[in-house]
Amino acid sequence: MPLLAQPSPTRLPRPIQPLVASQAFDFWASRINPLWSFDRPLARIEALQAASSDAVTVRLKPNRHWGGFLPGQHVNIGAEVDGRRVTRSYSLTDIPRADNRISITVKAIEGGKLSRHLCRDARLGDVLDLGQAFGGMTLPALVQGAWMFLAAGSGITPLMAMIRALSAQGMPVPLMLLYWVRTRAELCFAQELRALAARHPSFSVQFILTREGLLRADERAGRIDAALLSSLVDDLPARQIFACGSNGFVAEARNLLAGHVRSFQSEAFSPPARAVDDAASVQVTLARSGRTLQLSRGQSLLEGLEAAGLTPASGCRMGICNTCACTKVSGSTRNLHTGEDVHEPVSALRLCVNSATADLVLDL
Amino acid sequence: MTPRIRNRALGADQLDAFAAELDTLRARTVATLGQADADYIRAIVKAVRYLGLAGRALLFAAAFLSVVRVPAWILGTLLLGVSKIIENMELGHNVMHGQYDWMRDPHLDGRTYEWDIAGTSDNWRKTHNFKHHTYTNVRGMDDDIGYGLLRIFPEQRWKPFYLAQPLVAVVFALLFEWGVAIQDLRLGRWLAGKMTRAELRAAFRPVGRKMGRQVLKDYILFPLLAGPFFLPVLLGNAVANVLRNLWTYTIIFCGHFTADAEVFSRDSIKGESRGHWYLRQLRGSSNIAGGKLLNLLSGNLSHQIEHHFFPDVPANRYAAMAVEVRDICARYGQHYNTGSLPKQFSQVIWRILRHAWPSRPAPQMSLSRSPA
Repeated sequence: MPLLAQPSPTRLPRPIQPLVASQAFDFWASRINPLWSFDRPLARIEALQAASSDAVTVRLKPNRHWGGFLPGQHVNIGAEVDGRRVTRSYSLTDIPRADNRISITVKAIEGGKLSRHLCRDARLGDVLDLGQAFGGMTLPALVQGAWMFLAAGSGITPLMAMIRALSAQGMPVPLMLLYWVRTRAELCFAQELRALAARHPSFSVQFILTREGLLRADERAGRIDAALLSSLVDDLPARQIFACGSNGFVAEARNLLAGHVRSFQSEAFSPPARAVDDAASVQVTLARSGRTLQLSRGQSLLEGLEAAGLTPASGCRMGICNTCACTKVSGSTRNLHTGEDVHEPVSALRLCVNSATADLVLDL
Repeated sequence: MTPRIRNRALGADQLDAFAAELDTLRARTVATLGQADADYIRAIVKAVRYLGLAGRALLFAAAFLSVVRVPAWILGTLLLGVSKIIENMELGHNVMHGQYDWMRDPHLDGRTYEWDIAGTSDNWRKTHNFKHHTYTNVRGMDDDIGYGLLRIFPEQRWKPFYLAQPLVAVVFALLFEWGVAIQDLRLGRWLAGKMTRAELRAAFRPVGRKMGRQVLKDYILFPLLAGPFFLPVLLGNAVANVLRNLWTYTIIFCGHFTADAEVFSRDSIKGESRGHWYLRQLRGSSNIAGGKLLNLLSGNLSHQIEHHFFPDVPANRYAAMAVEVRDICARYGQHYNTGSLPKQFSQVIWRILRHAWPSRPAPQMSLSRSPA
């Protein structure tokens, strides 16, 4: 996963680049236009629109440092909440547009810092941090054969971008969307999906509501299982499948389908493991050196890395000098002094006073 | 010489309790970090930028408008000097400690922030954040004791060279940023033949690059913008840098070289507990009593004791923490070294003058009570 606000190559001639202090440049440039920066991708909120009872679609104007995306990909979005930059990944829901505008659809999550901020507090004109697009579940250059998309909850967002992309091509292949939510009010893009189904004979959509009483004509009830799938799709073995949703949903879909269909690809929005067992070990990936290690949860990362024969920069070994700080790309850590758990990317993680609590990627 | 102050000797249990109280204070403070602290440091960034802009603009105005030449030059130089002081102390020094890393703002990132002086931030992070803060006032481990140039404590071995130190100290103050820049090169080791020329050259490369950049900016680029008035602008920039050097030297020397500040031997830190470490920070540091302006201009090193206890807690919190720190120190019978700037700095000057001459250390007081 790329880091937040990864600087992109600037267009300045190389000999001039070191002469520009990016801090000073960004300070003065942002006085003129908050979207201007020397090398950081940023985006301004241009529109906020309710997408469902608990979701908001945010249309963003990225600055020139943002490198574009493919439908199905995601970006890291960062905003300052109570003085802290909070970063989360969101799928881009629109297709690449001539005016470069991008959209994300954010579902307000109970206790979610950034989703609550974007759904409730964000205002038009606010500037957000933007990462470069990432994610490998994208359509092939030449789309062939029959397809089926399985979406659960927010899992609709990357699939929606691909549905829109196929629609823009005149829906050249048969495509069926099965879209699970709990209640009708949580459905996003329902009207648009119905309109697309009406316009393209090769596209169909089935809404599946797991906790709704009365169902309409194009809605069904029930969780994902073999009976439901075979009742809805008659050429299942010929389908190429993209599935997106919670960890449990994706695992269930894989169980039912992988090996029985033409192809199966999935992405899960899984919450980090929160239960901590000090004896257990976690997988620590060192992104820069390409190594993967198993470290115990109770021990400081610095000790663990050293025990594995590595020599990361270190100093005081007591959390004061910041020498060992390195970027945490993803995963969960616990501060051994304060017991504080952090589940999001951090630019300066002190290896000597933090332990890994869930699989971790470090920029080492 | 009898010790001027009496500190209660603390046993291991008391040291643990002392540490626990300070840890609690730290945790309580860190738990409340938020928007107000972010707003504070952003206001500091703003002050640095606008004061610097105003200073440079006035220097240009002085060059082009003959009517206001002298007052504009003086005011411009002062504003630029103040901007550089705040950038070094309240912004650069504190950000480089990682005090604002919790904000995750790439421009306030302790690992990448580059400050506006001749020394590289990377060297500073090593000599200051690690060596000086971990081994505060430990002889042979904290390079900041006299910066390898001055004899501040009688525990340092006397050499005839030190007779010149009243003069050396003044030159060092004027050129302080250059001294800091070459501190980690350890030229002494090279002169003594303990480092090869190639090693020195490799170590100098990043330092030279940063020095070149500073010279280019302050002594070539900005003066050139003034065209025919190159010299007054160059002079203004030079004076602003020297003012900043003198001020930072004064503040930093007051932090660890006052009369009651102690040095420690390498042996005293063997198997050091957290409480013991806190105690050493306290005994080796001294505060400067003053108001909000002094706190701002000193980068809150007016709270040197709090800074050494909590180097990565945002400095804008030190003033509030100091109230409790003083109370904790009093309850544990520990001297809290503070005084006005003239009082503290005159003690520093006295040390520089006195220890230019041979002197003998008073018997070292043990940091803690050894178990019976």
